[in-house]
Amino acid sequence: MQNISLHNYRDFLLRYIDEELDLRQTEALLAFVALHPEVQQELESLQSTKLDIEIMSCPNKAVLYKNMFPVIVAPETIVYPNKQKLFKKEKEKAPVVLLKWWAVGAAAVFILMVVRFGMLDQKTSSTTSKNSISKNKVLKAFPISNIKNNTTINNSTINNSVANTGSWTATKIVADKNNNTSNDMEYAAAQNIEHQSIPTVSSITTRETAQTTPSYHGDIIDVKPTIIAEITMPSFAGNDETIETYETIDTEAASSNRTVMVGAFEIDKDKFRGLFRKVNAIIKNKENNKNEK
Amino acid sequence: MTEKDYNESVLLYADNVYRFIVKNLRHTEDAEDIVQSAFEKLWIHKDSVETAKAKSYLFTVAYHLLIDHTRKAKRISIQESFENDTQTAYQENKDLKKVLHDALATLSETQRSLVLLKDYEGYSYEEIGEITKLTTDQVRVYLHRARLKLRNYLISPQQVL
Repeated sequence: MQNISLHNYRDFLLRYIDEELDLRQTEALLAFVALHPEVQQELESLQSTKLDIEIMSCPNKAVLYKNMFPVIVAPETIVYPNKQKLFKKEKEKAPVVLLKWWAVGAAAVFILMVVRFGMLDQKTSSTTSKNSISKNKVLKAFPISNIKNNTTINNSTINNSVANTGSWTATKIVADKNNNTSNDMEYAAAQNIEHQSIPTVSSITTRETAQTTPSYHGDIIDVKPTIIAEITMPSFAGNDETIETYETIDTEAASSNRTVMVGAFEIDKDKFRGLFRKVNAIIKNKENNKNEK
Repeated sequence: MTEKDYNESVLLYADNVYRFIVKNLRHTEDAEDIVQSAFEKLWIHKDSVETAKAKSYLFTVAYHLLIDHTRKAKRISIQESFENDTQTAYQENKDLKKVLHDALATLSETQRSLVLLKDYEGYSYEEIGEITKLTTDQVRVYLHRARLKLRNYLISPQQVL
C-alpha cells in the first residue's frame, strides 16, 4: 500500500470522498488527517462538494410503462381488392347416365319405327296428292261424265260436279245394294245399310269432298278427301226418288284424332299404343323403386 | 429482459435517470424527453439487455442522449430555466444547495455527469467509465478536477461573502 504523505494526500482525500478507498486505506487516511489539521480543513471543503441525495420523481413515469393494462386492439383488416378474380369454379361434370341394353334397343326400335312410318306417311301423302292431282286431271278431261264399272259397281256413276272453288270436283258414286264397291268405306256403308234392313235401297251414293283450300307441302299438294255416304231410297208410292242422308263419315276428323305429329312425321297413335304403355310402365316402375329406396 | 423486468426498471430507475438528466440539463421538459427516449430504446432492445444491467444501460443511453442534445441545442436559457426549477424545488436549503448547483453549472458536461453519477447513483469509477466510455483513470482524473473546481467555487470570496 502506498504511504500517505503531504505530496499525495489530496488524491487520497478525493478518493475518500468518492468512496473508492478500501478499509485499510481509509484508516490510514483518517490517521494522517488527524496528524495534519490543514488537511482536515481541506477534507471538509472537499466534502462540501459532494451532492446530497435528492429524491426526484419523474413527472410522466406512467407513459414509460408498457402494456401494463391489456388493451384490446382491433385486428387490422386488410382487404385484397381483387378477391373476386381469385375465386375458381370447378367445371360441372356431365351426369353419367347408365343405359341398359334393352333401353337402348327400345329407343333404337322406336326411332326406326318413327322414321319408317314417317317416310311411309310422307309417301302416302304424296301418293294421295298425286291421285288427287290425277283425278283432277281426269275430271278436267271429262268435266261432266258418268263412269260405270260393270264388274264391281253397277249403275255407279261418277258425277263430277264442279265445286264452287273449282280446285277439286266432288265425285258421286252410285252403287246398288247387291254390288261390292272397291272402296272399303263405300262397302261398309252399304253393309251398314243392309243390316238396317232397308227393303229397297236403290243406291248408295258416296261423295268425296275435298278441302276447299288444299294445303301445300313443297311440291306436293296435299288434298285430304272426305267420304260422305248418301243412301238413296225409292218411295213406295212410286213417286220420284227422294234422297235421304243417313250417315256421314268424316275421315278427316278421324284421321286427325288418331295421328300425332312428331317433328315432320305424322304418327298413328293406335300403332304405338302398346309401345307407349310399355314406356309408361317402365317409368312408373323406376319411380316406385326410387320411392321405395 | 422480459416485459415485466422492463416495467420493473421503469419503477426502479426512471426517477434516477430523470434526476441525472435534469441536474445535468437543468431543463425539465427536455429531461423528460430524454428519459422517454432512453426507456424507449431499452424497450426496443429489451431482448438483448440483461435485467441486472438495465440501470447502467439506461444511464449510458441517457448520458449519450444528453451529450447529443447539448451539442445540438446549445441552449442559452438553460441557466434561467434551471434557476426557476431549483427555486421551486429546493426552498429549505436554498443557500447551500443553490451555491452548490451554481458551482455544478460551472463544470463541463462530462465533469458534471461524472459528479452526478458518482454522488447520486454511487457508481464506481469502472461503472462510470462504462457509461461514459472513459477509462477508469480518466474518470478518476476528471472527477477529481471537478471536485477541486467545485471546492474552489465554494470557497471563492464571492460565495463566502
